[in-house]
Amino acid sequence: MKIPRLLLFVIIVVISYGIFKAPGILLNQPIPSSLIVMYMFFAVVTTLLWITSTEKDMQGLVGPIKTMIQDPTKKTLRNIVFVIVPLVAGGITYTQLKPSYEAPVELRSIHPAPPSTVKAFGKTFNLATLVNPYRKLEKEDPAKFTQLVKEGGEVYFKNCFYCHGDKLDGKGHYAHGFNPLPLAFTDIGTIAQLQESFVFWRISTGGPGLPKEAAPWVSAMPVWENFITEDEVWKVILFLYNYTGYAPRSWEK
Amino acid sequence: MRKRLLSLIVLSIMLMSIQAWAAQGNKENGKTIYDKKCWWCHGENGAGDGPAAKFLNPPPRDLTAGWYKFKTTPFDEITPADEDIFRMISGGMNHISLWKGMSGTSMPNWDDVLKEQERWDIVAYIKSFSGLDKPAKGPIDYKNQIKSSKESIEKGKETFKKMCAECHGEEGRGDGTKKLKDDLGFRTWPRNLTKPWTFRVDNDPKEIYTRISNGIPGTQMPSFADPTSKKTLSDEERWNVANYIVSIADDVKRPKDDTVLKAMRLEGELPDKVDDPKWSEAESISFYMIPQIIAKERFFTPSLDSITAKAFYNGKEISILLEWDDRTKSIPGDEKAKEIAEGDVLEDSVAIQLPVTIPEEMEKPYFGMGDSARPVNIWQWKSGKKDASEAIKLLNANGFQKVEQRDAGKTGLRATGIYNNGTWRVVMKRQLSTEEKAKDIQFEEGRYTPIAFAAWDGSNGESGSKHVMTTWSWLLLKPATPKSTYFIPLIVVLVVFGGELLLARGQKK
Ligand code: HEC
Ligand code: HEC
Ligand code: HEC
Repeated sequence: MKIPRLLLFVIIVVISYGIFKAPGILLNQPIPSSLIVMYMFFAVVTTLLWITSTEKDMQGLVGPIKTMIQDPTKKTLRNIVFVIVPLVAGGITYTQLKPSYEAPVELRSIHPAPPSTVKAFGKTFNLATLVNPYRKLEKEDPAKFTQLVKEGGEVYFKNCFYCHGDKLDGKGHYAHGFNPLPLAFTDIGTIAQLQESFVFWRISTGGPGLPKEAAPWVSAMPVWENFITEDEVWKVILFLYNYTGYAPRSWEK
Repeated sequence: MRKRLLSLIVLSIMLMSIQAWAAQGNKENGKTIYDKKCWWCHGENGAGDGPAAKFLNPPPRDLTAGWYKFKTTPFDEITPADEDIFRMISGGMNHISLWKGMSGTSMPNWDDVLKEQERWDIVAYIKSFSGLDKPAKGPIDYKNQIKSSKESIEKGKETFKKMCAECHGEEGRGDGTKKLKDDLGFRTWPRNLTKPWTFRVDNDPKEIYTRISNGIPGTQMPSFADPTSKKTLSDEERWNVANYIVSIADDVKRPKDDTVLKAMRLEGELPDKVDDPKWSEAESISFYMIPQIIAKERFFTPSLDSITAKAFYNGKEISILLEWDDRTKSIPGDEKAKEIAEGDVLEDSVAIQLPVTIPEEMEKPYFGMGDSARPVNIWQWKSGKKDASEAIKLLNANGFQKVEQRDAGKTGLRATGIYNNGTWRVVMKRQLSTEEKAKDIQFEEGRYTPIAFAAWDGSNGESGSKHVMTTWSWLLLKPATPKSTYFIPLIVVLVVFGGELLLARGQKK
């Protein structure tokens, strides 16, 4: 059975609209409405071109409309359509013209290039050569290492879990108060991608230590050199990797 | 067909036996998980003394005490059903964006990282901390539930005033007249019943009925089903009260995704009193407030959680109404305030932060009181003391260490507030432009202007850097909608209709 062309046209247009709207409804990441308008324009034009490629199909598309206008028995339908179409057109124009007052979109770089040296704890660290002094104990003295991880955990559960979460998933009990959101260490896009020296820089100098492209003025990440010791930063880093099961990125990779 | 039925039966028997086996739970495995995930708060031996405990209110539960607050077994059965413990560990009674654990606490949901079996294993393990056995009595039932109706709510309201208001406040905002402590001596704040998204469990009538009937063990929230207590309520009364509680939810105060406070343009005078009827015409917006845990001195145990704002402007001035629920009116020197306060009574306070210069680009002052390059204006209202009236301060800050106090009067900045049944309402008003253009924000219609808020509950030890706050949101002096917005669509309607008529005529020929 061949689907009537007019119906087919309507179905395709509705489905395309659904697809463009889906990211917003399902993933909470809406495509901006101006883009949707553009996509829909192309969808409508392409479908029209495709449907009207043969004379017969063209008839299938225009035919029902013609009948509706000419056939006296379809008068009521015609009157209804004639009222609805202008109203819909007016409505669409209005929603396009109406000022929206949505918050401005602001983009920031989440993992900006780190500086080559970092000043913290009254010293200067060279990030290219900086390593976690405790990392080697993982092989050399596992018992000591386990103890250090636990101490790092205590640092975490006194200072970090409010934001980064009890499960290290970025969903702490105060996370909803911040924008940008605290990062989730369980995501493969954060510490799993980073060297320990980078993480050390981020923890020690916090939001204000970020370069301009990362919008330091909105990051709620505290400056931890003000609260914990250098030693504790290294230990909390051990904990972050141990709890999530990731390994820090190393130079070789 | 027969075959299918048979396999269905076999499958359900299998499922049921898995369930029965699951309910047993493997204690050993439970301990392994507990030692990785739970001890940080609940302590190595379940005594509620993990490293995080000092920073939390409510404190992590002392699991050796054996009281479970959110249980379905009746008031005279202290042992919860295993399902109750399982449910509270699993979580999922989501009210606040992101947070799916017990709202208003740090106890998260675990259903996303622990398998069902693992959660049963933990139930078995944590019951062993207090030697809990199976409960002798089963869960309460809901067979006499009364459907919500105007009449039921009206009756519930009467009961509420008599039985609940002393703790939960006349209008349910948790602003009772009693200082409450739990069985271990920790301060407890009765729930603000108009904010269901802060409920530990849910604001379904059945849940509320369960809390009222069984009480919240370990706290002063009593059981109203106990026939030996002075506070007994009949089954019917408890359902009516539950329906009433559901009806007082104040969704306006619930923060949503929007981040723009839209000031509406008014012709003529702006309201400068909090109870001016004009305010009901303004759009409102609510924001979460979180404690200041970013700079020294940090603050971890807040009692305030959100703020609601509205604004108007005209050619000369801007007027902003701030509204936030606070369980206590904190007036230093006042005897009544002292009775209920946690420690010394300090003043209640609220503040608005704005950049001195509206940023052209994305770059704003640091959200925590500005930075050396980009200063902020802070307008801080204080509630006053017994022997001093309310006051507004104007501060310019380049970071929290570089704060300059200025003369608020010179800029025309004024503020006034009223406390009523658990809510503060404060109006702040200023001219759009001032004389010292380099030091004061100059408001402009149509410009997105960063704005942030902070508040202090003086009965909860809050002053200085100890307070709750928001990060940057937006203020927009919303221009009046141009007439063409309505005019052009009208023309489109006429043109399209005309086109149709032409088409019809053409076809007829
Ligand atoms: C007040 C909330 C807050 C607290 C407390 C907090 N953080 Fe953060 N943190 C953030 C936010 C927000 C971000 C994301 C913005 C940014 O990158 O600065 C972040 C980012 C980070 C990053 C960068 C991750 C990446 O992929 O680049 C690390 C590492 C980090 N935090 C570690 C910690 C540690 C360790 C602690 C405790 C010592 C801690 N944080 C405490 C809010 C917080
Ligand atoms: C970040 C801290 C934190 C962690 C981690 C944590 N809890 Fe809790 N938990 C709390 C707090 C706080 C409460 C008390 C809430 C209250 O009293 O309203 C609580 C309450 C409970 C309750 C009592 C519920 C009731 O009905 O009274 C149980 C059971 C519980 N937690 C089990 C667990 C288990 C199991 C884990 C690990 C899988 C865990 N918790 C991890 C903070 C935590
Ligand atoms: C003696 C003081 C007191 C009285 C009287 C009282 N409550 Fe409570 N109520 C509390 C406290 C304290 C809490 C918070 C307990 C906790 O979670 O720590 C609470 C919590 C609640 C909750 C919160 C449940 C949740 O999921 O978070 C509800 C609902 C509630 N009360 C309803 C009532 C009703 C209805 C009445 C009257 C029939 C009442 N209360 C009478 C003190 C009281």
